[in-house]
Amino acid sequence: MATRHRFQVDGVTHTVTVEVAGDESGGRMTVAIDSAPPVEVDVTASGVLGLFSIIRGGSGGGTSGGVPARAYVARDGRSFRVVVDGRTFVLAPADAGRPRGASGGASDPPGTITAPLAGVAVEVRVAVGDRIEARQSVVVIEAMKMQNEVQAPHPGVVTAVYARQGVRVEKGELLVEYAPDEA
Amino acid sequence: MIKRVLIANRGEIALRIQRTCRELGIETVAVYSDPDRNALHVRNADYAVRIGPGPALESYLVIEKIIEAARQTGADAVHPGYGFLSENARFVDACAAAGLTFIGPSAGAMRALGGKVSARRLMAAAGVPIVPGANDISADDFATAEREAARIGFPLMVKASAGGGGRGIRLVERPGDLANAMRAAGNEAAAAFGDATIFLEKYISPARHIEVQIIGDAHGNVRAFGERECSIQRRNQKLVEEAPSVAVTPEIRARLCAAAVAAARSCGYQNAGTVEFLLDRDGNFYFLEVNARLQVEHPVTELVYGIDLVALQILVANGEPLPDAGAAMVPGGWAIECRINGEDPYANFAPSVGLIDFVDFPAGPGVRFDTMLYSGLDVPVFYDSLLAKLIVWAETRERAIERMRRALRDLVISGVQTNAPFHLALLEHPDFRSGDVSTGWLESTFTMPPLPEGASPAEDGSLATALIAGAIAAGMLAGGAQEPASARGITHWVQAARGISRRGLRVDGGTTGWRRGTASR
Repeated sequence: MATRHRFQVDGVTHTVTVEVAGDESGGRMTVAIDSAPPVEVDVTASGVLGLFSIIRGGSGGGTSGGVPARAYVARDGRSFRVVVDGRTFVLAPADAGRPRGASGGASDPPGTITAPLAGVAVEVRVAVGDRIEARQSVVVIEAMKMQNEVQAPHPGVVTAVYARQGVRVEKGELLVEYAPDEA
Repeated sequence: MIKRVLIANRGEIALRIQRTCRELGIETVAVYSDPDRNALHVRNADYAVRIGPGPALESYLVIEKIIEAARQTGADAVHPGYGFLSENARFVDACAAAGLTFIGPSAGAMRALGGKVSARRLMAAAGVPIVPGANDISADDFATAEREAARIGFPLMVKASAGGGGRGIRLVERPGDLANAMRAAGNEAAAAFGDATIFLEKYISPARHIEVQIIGDAHGNVRAFGERECSIQRRNQKLVEEAPSVAVTPEIRARLCAAAVAAARSCGYQNAGTVEFLLDRDGNFYFLEVNARLQVEHPVTELVYGIDLVALQILVANGEPLPDAGAAMVPGGWAIECRINGEDPYANFAPSVGLIDFVDFPAGPGVRFDTMLYSGLDVPVFYDSLLAKLIVWAETRERAIERMRRALRDLVISGVQTNAPFHLALLEHPDFRSGDVSTGWLESTFTMPPLPEGASPAEDGSLATALIAGAIAAGMLAGGAQEPASARGITHWVQAARGISRRGLRVDGGTTGWRRGTASR
C-alpha cells in the first residue's frame, strides 16, 4: 500500500510516494520522489528514535554502492527538521505559506525590525523619537563573540524599542518598531 | 606534586584536561558560569564552583573569582586551557601569590612574548628569523609610518602591538591606504587592548601558517614536537589543522624545530607553547609569535608523536625533567583536525546557536572527537562557536582525508547548523587534496558550493535522503498502520519528538548529589 507525503523545502514542494515491500519485518520500500522513477530503498530505524540509515538503490534495482546515508529527523512544530551529511533541511507542510527567506534586520517589512539571529543585544543605538535611515545600524547583537549589526530596512521614526542592552534575544524577536516614511 | 587541579576554562578543553587528570589520579575542580551549570565539564569534575553570570567578563575572566574557587576547594594547581586567562601574566602572578602552581609558562616569559614588538626584538637577538618590519609606531604618527613603509615595501600589514585573536590587523596594498589602516587598527586595538601602538610588517604572500609545538622543563630541556600546518583560515581563525605539513621536508623541519627551540630558550620558556611561523614557497620561514598556552589544535601533534601534551604539562609543572630530551623525532602517520563550529556555511558563516536535540558522534579506528556537546545542551551565546574538534589519524594523508570524510558523514548534530558541510566540500577540493594552499587560499579561492536552489532531489542526494526520512517519520506519526516496518517504537518516538522539538531536555538545578564535593556560592 502506497502512501504519499508532500513537503515544502526552500519554497519548492516535493512529493514522496512510499510503498512498503510485503515483508513487514524488513525496511525495504519503494520510493518515488516527484516525477523521478521509483527506486528501491532500504531503511533501518536505529535504536535511537528518529535516526535512520537509508540505502537508496538505483532505478534499475541496483544499489548506489550500498553506502548508507544517515538521517536524523526531529519534529519542529508542523515541520520536520532533518539532518543529512551535516546539512539541516526543514521539511514544511505543503500547505504552509511560502517560507520567508532571509529575515530580520534589513530584510524585514516596513514598520518592524526583528533579530536576524539569536544572541545578546550588546548595543542599542536608537531611542523612541529618533529618525532612522535605511541601512542604519540600530542594534548590535553579539553571538559567539561575533558582533552583528542589525540594520533598518527603511527610513522612518522610531516608535518603540524592545531591545535592551545586555539582554538575550531570540531569532525573529521584535527589536524596534518605527513609523516608516510614506513612499 | 599536583593533587587537585582547578581548570579555569569550559567546553571541550576543560573536559580534555579533566580526562588526563583522571588518568593520572589527579582530582579536578571545574568553574562555571550560570548558562554552563549543566555543562559536561561541570558534571565530569570532582568539584565544581559557580563563578558568575554568562558574560566571560563577569565569570571566566575574573581572576579573583577563579583564585577564590581554588582556595575554597583546596586546589593546588591551575590549568588555564586556551583563551580566557591562559595568556594573562597578571593571572599567573595571582596564582603564585595564592600558592597555586600555574600549569603553563612563567609570567616573565608571557610578558616577554606577549608584546608582539618585544617578542620581535627578543627573537631577532636569538637569531630566529623575523618578518622585515618596523616596531612601535604611534597610530597617529603617519610621517614615521610612511617613511618605514617605503623602506619595507608594499603590500604590508599594520598590526596592533598588543593585538591578538586576529584583531587590530590591516592589510595595506597601496601607500594611500596606510593612514586609514593605521587609524582602524589603532582604534580597534585601543578599544580591545587599551593600547593604540602599532607596528608594520612586510606582507609575506603566498605563505603557509606553520607552527611548532614546544615544551620546556625546569632543567633547561626544550623539546620541539614538529610542525602543524594551519593555513586553512577564515578571518584569521583556523578551521583545519594538520600534522605534519606537505610543505615541510625533513630538512625544513630540522631548521623549524631548531628555531622554535631557540625562541623558547631566549626567554627561559617552560611548559607547553607554540611558535608560529610563516613559511614561503622557497622554504624560508619567519617568526610570527609565540602562543604561550596549550592550543586548540594540539591533538594533531599528540597523534603523530604519540604523546599526551597535558600529561607532559603536568609533569614539567611538577618540576620533573622531560623524558627523552635529546631523542630525534619523526612524525608517524598523518593527523587532521576539523573544527566543528556552530556556524551556517550557507549563510556566510553566521553564528548558529540553540538547543541540541540530538548528537551522534563518529567512532572507529583513528577517530578522536573532543566535544562539549550532548543531547539536550542549550549552546550558550556568550562564548566562541567551537562545538567540537574532529581529529583523525591514518598512515598517510590520503587515508586521513578519506577517514575524515567518513567521520564527518557519521557525525550528526541536530538543533544547530554546523560548518560540517564546509569541511566536506573543502576535503573534496583539488587544491586541498594536493596540499597546495596558503593562508589566503580559503578566502581568495575556495567558495562554498552553492545550495542547489530548487534543485531536484535527483541531483541532490542529501535532499533525497532527507525527503525519504521525512516521509517515513510522517508515516509513523500518522498512525503507523501504513508503515508496519517502521512502526515499532512509535509511541516513544512520538513522545520524544514532541518533547524534544521545542522544550528540550533541560536538566535544571541538578548540580548537587552526584559529585564527591561541591562548593557553590
